[in-house]
Amino acid sequence: MNREEKETRFIERIKAGMKIEATDWMPDTYRKLLLKLIHMHGISEIMGALPEKEWVPKAPTLKRKLAIMAKVQDEMGHGQLLLRVAEDLAEPFGRTREDLVADVIHGRVKFHNVFHMEAPTWADAGVIGWLVDGAAIINQAALLHTSYGPYARVLKRICAEESFHMQHGESIILALAGGTDAQRKMLQDSLNRWWESLLFFFGPMEVTESAQQMIDYGIRTKTNEELRQQFFSKYVPRIRSLGLTIPDPNLSYNETTKRWSWTLPDWEKFRKIVRDNQGPKSQERLNLRRFAHEEQAWVREAMIRSRLKGSVVV
Amino acid sequence: MNQLSRGMDISDPIYQKALKDLLFQLADDELCIGHRDSEWLGLAPDIEEDVAFSSIAQDEVGHATFYYERLAEIGEQDSDTLAFGRGSHERRNACLTERENGDWAYSIVRHFFYDTFDALRLEALAKSSYPPLAEGVAKIQREERYHLLHMHLWFVRLCLAGGEARKRMETAIWKVWPDISGLFSWGAWEEELLQRQVIHTSSLVLQQQWEERIRPVFAEAGIEWIEAMPEPVKKGRLGDHFPELNHLLGELSSVYALDPAARW
Amino acid sequence: MGSGGNDPFTPEGFGGCVKGGEGMSEGNVQEGFGVFEVFVQKTQADFHTHVGSVVAPSPDVALMNARENFLRRDLGVNLWVVPRQCVTATPYDSEGDWFAREFDRKYREAGGYPENGRLWKMYKEKVLQLEEIVEDLHGKGDKNNESASS
Repeated sequence: MNREEKETRFIERIKAGMKIEATDWMPDTYRKLLLKLIHMHGISEIMGALPEKEWVPKAPTLKRKLAIMAKVQDEMGHGQLLLRVAEDLAEPFGRTREDLVADVIHGRVKFHNVFHMEAPTWADAGVIGWLVDGAAIINQAALLHTSYGPYARVLKRICAEESFHMQHGESIILALAGGTDAQRKMLQDSLNRWWESLLFFFGPMEVTESAQQMIDYGIRTKTNEELRQQFFSKYVPRIRSLGLTIPDPNLSYNETTKRWSWTLPDWEKFRKIVRDNQGPKSQERLNLRRFAHEEQAWVREAMIRSRLKGSVVV
Repeated sequence: MNQLSRGMDISDPIYQKALKDLLFQLADDELCIGHRDSEWLGLAPDIEEDVAFSSIAQDEVGHATFYYERLAEIGEQDSDTLAFGRGSHERRNACLTERENGDWAYSIVRHFFYDTFDALRLEALAKSSYPPLAEGVAKIQREERYHLLHMHLWFVRLCLAGGEARKRMETAIWKVWPDISGLFSWGAWEEELLQRQVIHTSSLVLQQQWEERIRPVFAEAGIEWIEAMPEPVKKGRLGDHFPELNHLLGELSSVYALDPAARW
Repeated sequence: MGSGGNDPFTPEGFGGCVKGGEGMSEGNVQEGFGVFEVFVQKTQADFHTHVGSVVAPSPDVALMNARENFLRRDLGVNLWVVPRQCVTATPYDSEGDWFAREFDRKYREAGGYPENGRLWKMYKEKVLQLEEIVEDLHGKGDKNNESASS
């Protein structure tokens, strides 16, 4: 088969609802689009552990401490699953885990805007679990039917674990919402801080060229705006039911169009945060990742050098 | 209902004081080391290890919770108040567990030495005259086995690797060594605890057992045994601690202290 | 497993199964970590099931980390890690399909004999079901026999 025939057959398989696997032939554009998406997804999980990690040492009860530890562990675990998928896609380029992790330190892969932001109070630990994870769950659930088999399989597991994250986040914010005036204020302030970032998280209104290509390849099936609309439908009534105010006076639901209208935040500001790593916490968190990866390369090297010396466990 | 075994009389004020002091040692040790472990979240040398190490941190905090709950059961305050609301002089953890993490080598050395000690301590408690303790210990022992396997593997491999890892491990061992003897103390009530069979091993024997277990691992790892084990500079089991504990407690209780009466 | 050099279950053999295992230059992380496929056995009544993979410097570290990467919620009784190089697999998208089932194979399935029921009726009897036998022997809802009776 020549390349064109292969490509035709590939598209036929996707149209027939068949899954593509790592060892299958795939067009370069498919591989690169997927790799970019999953690489960013995996790295975002790993960078996303950091804002919540700040609250692990400070969690206010033993139960909260255990729960947030488990939550951060899951984020790292999701990063692990996703990076494994990305690594197999990157294999033909001769790139391994080492490269894929180093890429974020050197600005070659981006991570989601929400993980560049500050999380200065305990309420942020709750709002991240509740709304940032809520947004992420909608995004991830929408990808469950992706045409790439290995991605679909890890997403299934990730989504199952996210259901614990939802409960964890809700439990924190419900305690704050039902607490003292100071606790309620802490929660409202946090919502104000996160709202615009949450809107940006779903991506631009317009369907970009690469987004359209991903839809054509069956990598994703929904547009950014469809997912953002679903987020509004699920979360706005719940936010309001707690007596919280959403910091967007124009946010409203149109019964006839069945759509939410919302105020576009300063898109360029957020775009810069992601593109140039210029958010309030971007550099600090990149430095933590640099510490973990580059400054501890000696550990990984040592474990390779000594692997043939004595098997301790098995 | 008389579920109390020989030697146990919780109405005996000395028994009660000694038992509580012991439970505080156990709880505070596990909380401190679990807290320190959790500082590695997101920062371990590789992603898979990050996930594995995090489970160990959760186990330790889970064990601390168990011990604080046993204290609450016998008239102390609720477990959160005990974990978050006590000052450093009230803490009974060995100073080794409050030390800052340092590098990966320090964390591994400290943890391996601590886990080896903890395994022996749990053996000393397995037939405790206080049934709730003996029952909990049996469960905790099962979880601690994996920790010991894990730390043993890392300890030996990093020592055998040569190069920078070897140097860092040697430095870490020397740094940890002066804090080791502080682990073995049973605090202010050792005699009473032994007489009443809450514990079955003296601190002296505990130390000997620890050396017997660690010596062969040093040999396996090609590390020369260090003969002298200095007396602890600070006696953590008596409430005397390094400033590192104050920093740890400050962070641990920073949200709780905003409003200890609030529901979080 | 006579030739130790190719035995994937010893640290020595592992070197033969993973690229860069032998004579690797000191501290080459790129070449050093290998991919291990992870299999979990949930209970001793189950077979090992593939759940994903880890990267690790050696099989024992892979095993150690597989436990927390794949069993931090679910219970299990046994784990395997297998160097990926040691797995031989069928292709997904190949010319000759391994898994073609084009013609009727009902003759090899229990459901392929619907007429038996009708015939037994003539003798005022019912088709004998395996579930019934298992239930008689082990009681209803016996976990170990779910697969046997399905």
